Amino acid sequence: MSIFRFFHRKKELKEEIESHLKMATADRVARGESPYDARRAAVREFGNVPLVADVTRERWGWLRLERLTQDVQFAARQLRRTPVFTITVLLTLALGIGANAAIFTLVNSVLLKDLPVADPKMLVHVGNDGQDCCVGTVNPRDNGNYSNFPTETYEQLKKNVPEFEELAAMQAGFTYRPVIARRDGVQTAARSVMGEFVSGNYFRTFGLQPSAGRLLMDADDVKGAAPAAVMSYATWQHDFAGDPSIIGGTFWVNTKPVTVVGVAPRGFYGDRMTNTPPDFYLPIETLPSLENVPYVDDPSMVWLYIIGRVKPGVAMGPLQEKVNAVLRQSFSTQKIFSTEDGKKQLLRVHATLTPGGAGIETLQENYGAHLRLLMWISGLVLLIACANIANLLLVRGMGRRTEMSLRSALGAMRSRIVRQLLTESVLLAGVGGLLGLAVAYAGTRMLLLLAFPGDQNVPIHAAPSLEVIGFAFALSMVTGILFGVAPAWISAQAKPADALRTGARTTASGTSMLQRTLVILQAALSLVLLVGAGLFSQSLNKLQSSDLKLDSRNRYIVHINPQAAGYSQTKLEALYRTMEDRFHALPGVVKVGIANYTPMEDNNWSNGIGVQGHPEIHGSASFIKANADYLESVGTKIVMGRGIDVRDTSTAPAVTVVNQTFVKHFFNGENPIGRRIGSPNSAGDFEIVGVVEDTTYTDVRWKDHSMFFVPIMQRYASDKTPIEEDMSLYAGAIVIETERPMNDMEKLAQTTLASINPNLTVVKFQTFDEQIADRFTEERMIARLTMLFGALALLLATIGLYGVTAYSVEQRTPEIGIRMALGAERTGVVGMVMRGALIQTSLGLALGIPVAVLCVRYVKSLLYEITSADARVMMGAIITLAVAACIAGIIPARRAASIDPARALRAD
Amino acid sequence: MRDTSSETAGLARNIQLPELICQFSQKGVDSLHVDVEGLQPMATKSKYQNRIELMQGTLDMLILKTLQWGEQHGYGISQSIRASSCEVLQVETGSLYPALHRLERQGWVTSEWKQSESNQRAKFYKITKLGKEQLASDYERWGKMVATIEGIMTAKRGDA
Repeated sequence: MSIFRFFHRKKELKEEIESHLKMATADRVARGESPYDARRAAVREFGNVPLVADVTRERWGWLRLERLTQDVQFAARQLRRTPVFTITVLLTLALGIGANAAIFTLVNSVLLKDLPVADPKMLVHVGNDGQDCCVGTVNPRDNGNYSNFPTETYEQLKKNVPEFEELAAMQAGFTYRPVIARRDGVQTAARSVMGEFVSGNYFRTFGLQPSAGRLLMDADDVKGAAPAAVMSYATWQHDFAGDPSIIGGTFWVNTKPVTVVGVAPRGFYGDRMTNTPPDFYLPIETLPSLENVPYVDDPSMVWLYIIGRVKPGVAMGPLQEKVNAVLRQSFSTQKIFSTEDGKKQLLRVHATLTPGGAGIETLQENYGAHLRLLMWISGLVLLIACANIANLLLVRGMGRRTEMSLRSALGAMRSRIVRQLLTESVLLAGVGGLLGLAVAYAGTRMLLLLAFPGDQNVPIHAAPSLEVIGFAFALSMVTGILFGVAPAWISAQAKPADALRTGARTTASGTSMLQRTLVILQAALSLVLLVGAGLFSQSLNKLQSSDLKLDSRNRYIVHINPQAAGYSQTKLEALYRTMEDRFHALPGVVKVGIANYTPMEDNNWSNGIGVQGHPEIHGSASFIKANADYLESVGTKIVMGRGIDVRDTSTAPAVTVVNQTFVKHFFNGENPIGRRIGSPNSAGDFEIVGVVEDTTYTDVRWKDHSMFFVPIMQRYASDKTPIEEDMSLYAGAIVIETERPMNDMEKLAQTTLASINPNLTVVKFQTFDEQIADRFTEERMIARLTMLFGALALLLATIGLYGVTAYSVEQRTPEIGIRMALGAERTGVVGMVMRGALIQTSLGLALGIPVAVLCVRYVKSLLYEITSADARVMMGAIITLAVAACIAGIIPARRAASIDPARALRAD
Repeated sequence: MRDTSSETAGLARNIQLPELICQFSQKGVDSLHVDVEGLQPMATKSKYQNRIELMQGTLDMLILKTLQWGEQHGYGISQSIRASSCEVLQVETGSLYPALHRLERQGWVTSEWKQSESNQRAKFYKITKLGKEQLASDYERWGKMVATIEGIMTAKRGDA
């Protein structure tokens, strides 16, 4: 029976009964009774009309639903009658559940989700370190652990480990190497986009189907094959509005023609989670021609990640052994592993097989610790929220004892009363859960904005998944039912007569032990969270206020990619000269620095160092290639000798400038001017001509960072490889210093570069300050979130304390009335109420302080130069909590003091 | 057909009641209120000294029997049972309507809205083929039970 049919029949039954009554009345009138009497007698004879209707409807089996509707309606009415209570509970639930669901959404999509590929459980990642990145040489490593491999090793693994059904390889550092792409024939500017170079079986390994055209095949990934590319679905939709003519069309990638053969499936964001997923997937073998890089065919260069699909039933243990054996075999041909020492090192070489369903987990490794911390914090907030709701429901349940007694005295069944109270709390929980989801959605969006500011392509969605919705609802229901049942049960147990009688005066303290315990717990937990918030803000402060030994005022960083624009190494010197001239010609420009990378960006190039005459000195230092203006343009001060200047051309004697840490590390602090350094094999390549301050590169946490600066066109004198293979000649950034802030610098940079060559696009433009601020994004997010959660916890705890105190005042109104009638001062009453509130807070503090001190240990690794909660943070948290407690206490205390004794005594 | 001076007579004519010979006078025996559901509250219960609680099947049987003589509405059924029991059995509405709706759900009766003889719109119930079969089997069971109970009640000591 449908619900409409039900209501129709309900109406029909009413008519049927009415017709019965009319006929009975008519019969009576016919017998001579007056119409009025007849009707009355007929109704009396009929009996209880609604009851008869009820029992009859019960025959249809729909009464349960009807009762439920009644209960829900009644509950809604009850909740509307007490808006403060309802709003408080709903807000608490919404915030508590919302915060948790938001964090859980993020955790779920970042840490727990597999790639959107076929059967991700069968994927195995050969390696376990997403930080082992980009491009490097196969050097012996202390732990022998490799996650990044040469092309040749990949080929050998593919051939010799048949346990892999498919074994795919992918460029490790594609996010650091954008390509420049322009659609053929369309009058649009070339744009810097993400291109990932992958093996021909990449898409087959993931078991994917194209959403248009075809995907890459083995035939695309051979030398001499026509350059092919697969576009990502998101790029196809967002940048080209799903234009079908893209498929089969030509794009100019790094100035070379490439055919787009198809579009990757919808939702596929590549083999790893990143804020810059690939726009194009290109075959590995096209990399040398497209990017002019030498490492693809060099067995001594690592640059590939490997993910394979294992055949069913393959055991991991033996597979691991086999992979390691092939790996050692492959590395053994390298010169560095064939020396006496190298052979020992070779025994340690291994790759750790890990589940590959989630792809390369660089982001997961980066964010994991912080996400887990956030989960703990939001869990604590939820605990506080639950305690609050428990408290409020308890208070409400107790307060309604009289009402319940009256209702059961009037004949309401106990089970019905319990059911009604339960309906009320479930309704509250349900609505709270819904609101919580809304908060979760907004919260996740906010989290994503905080975590990845300015990125639109993050493959994480703010919409809570089914799991999260289920989680949120289960949570709210459990809370509602758990804390709705207790007062319902207590109310139902009450003997009506007793309860109605004892509505009179009593000196009972009013609040139960349980409620006080909950409040103390809340205070303790919020202290812990407040201390946490203090610590993380302090950590962020320390990070941001640390002296970077640079000058970011009126500086702009323009990232460029001359290699992708088609410049060969031999053309670079002229290009840099042109760039210097053109930018200097702009009014207001003071300095034009050119370097491979700049301070405080996510990049680093380390080289092994040899010191002439001291073969015993080992070590490595970061390598910066720079032009004459560079050091001044970033504000690095020269402390000794000279900087790089215009005389240091490709043909001039090779020189270098080192930083103070370099001097400390390699020269024991002695004057290094005139000394020579180079690679470990050829230690005399560069003469040191100057020493500069330790400007911070890469990360504030990188202390004792040795660096050496070399004129951009100069090379290691011993380097006999052709200039065409020297990647270090390519600049990555222009640093422009101006006299005053120039808001149009981005546009100016674009037009200036385009006037040199239309393919010279701006890869990324930021002010120096923005670039520096970006390096603190994660810390800032954590500091803000711990602050937010701390505030939330404090708010909830304050509401809890207020609720309990206010309730106790209400319960004690007659008692306070008597006290005041007997001469108690108003200040005394205020003191009495406040004492109660403050005692609970103090107990909370006593419990919370040691817990907070203990907790610092577990988050120490996430903090910057903070090892314990110092007095300032501690006092700050304690004072904040105490002030909140005073506010929560003073409102009910003042109400207690304003009780009119006469009225209080007359009440009840 | 419009003779409403005596409802019993009118009804009897209308539904073609068989001739009834009332064995007990109205004054001699109090009316018995048939109540299957036990709905009447305590306060009213005490007023009716002669409330009998029939088994559910029995009321069903009486209703089906009444409907065998022709389709009838709820009020008519209660009046008819009352008349044919010589004013002894009074079916409580609180039992009658639930029973009717139950019978309808089981498919033993069907219902239809029609104008009554007094020009009142009413819901008329009609026995179905299934209902007739049910009535026959109910009646057979009833007969057996009455005989059995009668046997117990009239048994003499030592007979066994």
